[in-house]
Amino acid sequence: MKYIVETKDLSKSYRGKQVVRDVDLKVPKGCVYGFMGPNGAGKSTTLKMLLGLVKAGSGEAAIAGKTMNQRNRLEILRKTGSLIESPSYYGHLTGRENLEIVRTLKQAPEKEVDQVLKLVRMERQQDKKAREYSLGMKQRLGLAAALIGRPELLILDEPTNGLDPSGIQEIRELICELPKRLGMTVLVSSHLLSEMDQMADYVGIINHGQLIFQDRLEALHEHSRSRLLLKVMNRTAALKLLEMRQIEGRVAEEGILIPELSDDRAAALVQALAEGGAGLYRVEERQKSLEDIFLSLTGRRASL
Amino acid sequence: MLREWKTEWMKLKRRKAGLLVLAFLGFTFLWIGWVVSDADALDLADGYRWMFSNLSMINTILLPTMLAMLASRLCDMEIKGNTLKLLCTLEKKGTLFDVKLLTGGSFLILYVAAELLLLLAGGRLLGFGRPMEARHAAYFLLQNISVSLVIYLLQVMLSFRFENQIIPLAAGLFGSFIGLFSWFFPDTSLFRWIFVWGHYSLLHFTGYTWDEATRVMTFYDVEPSRAALGMVLALLVFGYLICRQLFVRKEV
Repeated sequence: MKYIVETKDLSKSYRGKQVVRDVDLKVPKGCVYGFMGPNGAGKSTTLKMLLGLVKAGSGEAAIAGKTMNQRNRLEILRKTGSLIESPSYYGHLTGRENLEIVRTLKQAPEKEVDQVLKLVRMERQQDKKAREYSLGMKQRLGLAAALIGRPELLILDEPTNGLDPSGIQEIRELICELPKRLGMTVLVSSHLLSEMDQMADYVGIINHGQLIFQDRLEALHEHSRSRLLLKVMNRTAALKLLEMRQIEGRVAEEGILIPELSDDRAAALVQALAEGGAGLYRVEERQKSLEDIFLSLTGRRASL
Repeated sequence: MLREWKTEWMKLKRRKAGLLVLAFLGFTFLWIGWVVSDADALDLADGYRWMFSNLSMINTILLPTMLAMLASRLCDMEIKGNTLKLLCTLEKKGTLFDVKLLTGGSFLILYVAAELLLLLAGGRLLGFGRPMEARHAAYFLLQNISVSLVIYLLQVMLSFRFENQIIPLAAGLFGSFIGLFSWFFPDTSLFRWIFVWGHYSLLHFTGYTWDEATRVMTFYDVEPSRAALGMVLALLVFGYLICRQLFVRKEV
């Protein structure tokens, strides 16, 4: 597989505290890669290291096959657009004037300003001063700036942060369109699993600075699928019955957790538990929260 | 570098940086006008030396404040707009620092050159007795540009360091007071040497005697201190190298 971003043992420490630890990111070309993790997990620091905004403590990062260093950083980043944390803009300039500055620095053709304005649906607000924009508009302006120069790779750090639901939807649609319409790869970070579910093809999960999961979105769904919680009077009998039916049961504080079953298998199991003396009195469906997934992934880190 | 410099001027649209410089220039010449308003024939006879003496002191008071405001105009737009993260992916950090200095330096050079030209024009208009000496003009440029560049460098660092621009502006005002006080100390006084704002007075090139009986001021030439000039130039070079390195190393 061809990776547009590839890091090897990327690490960073601040005052002796390691915030990013041996991260091996592999972003396939032409996809939307969701980089997830709770706040403070090391997402922004990793993305900043990719852009050379933060110096890596150790390890290396390659973009489009070229290992980045101080000498070739700008040359490599010329094919990259980015929006890190909050949008960057000059409040006293209009949206268009802001984009003209980026266009001049990127040495992109003049027509690109109109093209990106159209792409982010900002043509009508282009002559308004940026400080008068709503947060959503500023975010779109930041996205437009990142799109100038037709980059092969777009790095977006929490682009929907602080947006209202309609703004989130708009940005999300736009991100999903980019690989298909312009052939770009989008590396987007978020702390929301639901958001990634609607955008990403691949996901990477970082927790306490460590990349604990990296695979296709479907593989993550395996981890996030729901479980059934069996509440029984006699756990020993219930576990024995589950073993007989080759169903993996895990004893939790509230009861026994088993993987999700098809309706007919669930019905047969309920009947068997009732008739087998397990004293089944309740069956609950448990959907794993993001936190649960993080916890389970952290526990399984060695095997991932 | 030219491309980056071009964008620096694009960013300055509506920032009224030129207006700020013009306002200070206007105020300076209103002050000079007030000084000249009660001049007699004796004063005008050696008008240029008299004016250089006054203008050096006025610049010592006004330039630190103007430079603080100018640096703030140029730098706080990057802080407020969170633009360093974007710019540092498009241009070298060192280049960004250089163009900030170059832009502010251009305003400064134009300002001092405009003072000199206005002085020449005023001298002709008022009929100053002796022509302006070329070395005086050169000393004036050297005195005001070199010291001001060191101060501007300091102000750029402060404006980038503090989100709240009150602190760099307060530093500018503090510098104006220090600069003014420095004129009341002798060349040998440590006060003139330790504060960068006092270096305007160290590089003075005219002196005067005051005859109390006749109430006549007589101006004479003073050779600017080479040691002071050497120190200012060393401060400029090393200050630039250190500040640039600090700016480049700072993570955004």
